[in-house]
Amino acid sequence: MKDRETEQRLRREAKALLEQGKVDYIIGFETGSLKFTTTPLITKDKDSVDRLIINPFIVNNLSEYLTELKGRVGIVAKGCDNRSIVSLIQDNQVKREDVVILGVPCPGIIDLSKVEGLVGKDRDELDDVTRDGDKVVVTVDGEKKEFPASEVLFDNCLGCEFPTPQEYNILLDESSSLVADKTASRKGIETLEGMPQEQRWDFWEKEFSRCIRCYACRSICPACFCERCFVEESEPQWIAPVPRWQDNLIFQVIRNIHVAGRCTDCGECERACPVNIPLRSLTKEMYDLVDDLYHFKAGMDKEAAPLMTHYETTDPEDFIK
Amino acid sequence: MANKKINKKNIAKLLGDWSKEFELFIPSKDEGIAKFAKWDGKDTSFLDWHRNTIVPPKAIFFPPVEEMFSFQKDKQSYHIELPSSDGQKQLIFGIRPYDANALTILDKTFKDTYEDPYYLPKRKNTVLVGLGCTKPYDSCFCTSLGGSPTDSANVDLMLTDIGDEFLVEGVTDKGRELMSMSSELEEATEADETRAKETKEATYQKVTRQLDTKDIEEKLLSSFEIQDLWEEIAAKCISCGICTLLCPTCYCFDINDELIKDRGTRFRSWDSCSFPVYTKMPMENPRIEKWRRVRNKVCHKYEFYPMNFDVIACTGCGRCVRQCPVNWDITQTLEKMQAKVQSG
Ligand code: SF4
Ligand code: SF4
Ligand code: SF4
Ligand code: SF4
Ligand code: SF4
Repeated sequence: MKDRETEQRLRREAKALLEQGKVDYIIGFETGSLKFTTTPLITKDKDSVDRLIINPFIVNNLSEYLTELKGRVGIVAKGCDNRSIVSLIQDNQVKREDVVILGVPCPGIIDLSKVEGLVGKDRDELDDVTRDGDKVVVTVDGEKKEFPASEVLFDNCLGCEFPTPQEYNILLDESSSLVADKTASRKGIETLEGMPQEQRWDFWEKEFSRCIRCYACRSICPACFCERCFVEESEPQWIAPVPRWQDNLIFQVIRNIHVAGRCTDCGECERACPVNIPLRSLTKEMYDLVDDLYHFKAGMDKEAAPLMTHYETTDPEDFIK
Repeated sequence: MANKKINKKNIAKLLGDWSKEFELFIPSKDEGIAKFAKWDGKDTSFLDWHRNTIVPPKAIFFPPVEEMFSFQKDKQSYHIELPSSDGQKQLIFGIRPYDANALTILDKTFKDTYEDPYYLPKRKNTVLVGLGCTKPYDSCFCTSLGGSPTDSANVDLMLTDIGDEFLVEGVTDKGRELMSMSSELEEATEADETRAKETKEATYQKVTRQLDTKDIEEKLLSSFEIQDLWEEIAAKCISCGICTLLCPTCYCFDINDELIKDRGTRFRSWDSCSFPVYTKMPMENPRIEKWRRVRNKVCHKYEFYPMNFDVIACTGCGRCVRQCPVNWDITQTLEKMQAKVQSG
């Protein structure tokens, strides 16, 4: 199996980095405590690196931890995580020389919620879920079912432009063969765009009524690195810190503006949301707008100035009315 | 009163009878996630789905945001108005045993420590109709905390799935009163009782996650100063509020005023000791470092609460394990802690 080889190589490289004192920490993935899940492994211990894994469920964007850890860090990065790391370097949050990027060419991550929807069972009731080229094989009650990968990968993976890391120290495998499906990736947004304005408003009212202000969307987002967030400011108070739908909506609108040009469409905010608010319909729309208007893609060039900190005289302004 | 039973086909009629008297809540997936919602008079989809909700039913008694009072400046003083309470009687249908247990745990704070004027009236006006889980998740560990997926200890009336029917047990007077309010219930036979007993035993075995809670309070006490242990445990936590806000036994809240000219409203809303800004309002957060916050959460449930109230403030519902976006797992944490303390 390809993942096994990548995994073996990762363990060797990670161990060497720690042994040679080139990094203080390794951040990667290990097996999680629930069926199919993986969980971040953050370790200084060279024996723990044997727990590192690579599989179709390594979903977290580990760059989230970089701003918190002191010292040099070896980090496992998929395509989108890799861009988040570069974006953090652009924003002076992380120094390039402090990270050793262990790049993983990413074939797309399996969205277990989609699998659950397709087979009508929860993840802990499934025998097995495996990736086989452009297919995903799900075993339920001993019976194998095959689905095209494009039906079970995360929406953001389907829209991924750079699954293979561009900025790395070590690339753990050859380039990835992701089955992209741009239309499927924007399906939620297309549906919203097709709605009359009023209906769209009702839609968001309903969705944001569920928000409990756990701030997981913000905490998990590598682009949300502010030590003090506007949400908690009290003078002036931008929004009420209570979960009412209007304030919840404004929270996301402002968060979106703050991450514009930093968001790499890693999809973590939507995945983390415990009450399933389709946050990516906002972040992906912003991602595309940034691209269309400014021809800017987050985290592509560590030397480039961050979008929101600079301007050019040729920048479009006809949308300002 | 002897136990009764109800055919699943007649469940909507039973709920209909009760809804004449009560505002009725059921576990529902209507609003995009599993949570308790007001019954619409027909939905019985809960019959095909016997698992945990994402939002715990504590939200009915202690909502994510709640008005405490409104105020109006009146020359030199303030005129205060309390929110009107209609004293509406409520019935929660299909509450799971661990969530009912969580309410008993919350009572220690909201009833025994002080009398919370928002939580208590709702609690008093509500009857709990329990429904046992038949398919526990791999995150569930209620059996390690003295519970079981079919435990009737904290509800008024308990339903157990016995195939085409539910066995209905009256647990309290309130519950037995409910039984007499509907003609849909039939007498249970001895065979029904046997089947219910078998189901209970079988479901108990389906909870596979185990946690050793023996002497856990003392062990936590001796682990308290082991900083590197807690740093290791906390490393992957991202300090969001999921595990606490969605925990059925967490009760922390924040208070905010909203002022427009001379009028205002005071709200309370769910808060979490995981947040770096927790308790920033009155003073500073004494737990700036993440490991201290994670330690507090674990210790509050497994050490401080037992010290104060003789009961662990965790029901093993597994929400914190399943909903955590980084799969931080309280059972693994406690295992790691115990191993460390034992090895010295
Ligand atoms: S806003 Fe969401 S999709 Fe964008 S970088 Fe942050 S977590 Fe990822
Ligand atoms: S993760 Fe979801 S529920 Fe939590 S604050 Fe963000 S939008 Fe609200
Ligand atoms: S343990 Fe998980 S759910 Fe709880 S605060 Fe940490 S990251 Fe959030
Ligand atoms: S664990 Fe934290 S949030 Fe929960 S009740 Fe205790 S202090 Fe409050
Ligand atoms: S600590 Fe976790 S398992 Fe225990 S009651 Fe709270 S959410 Fe449930």
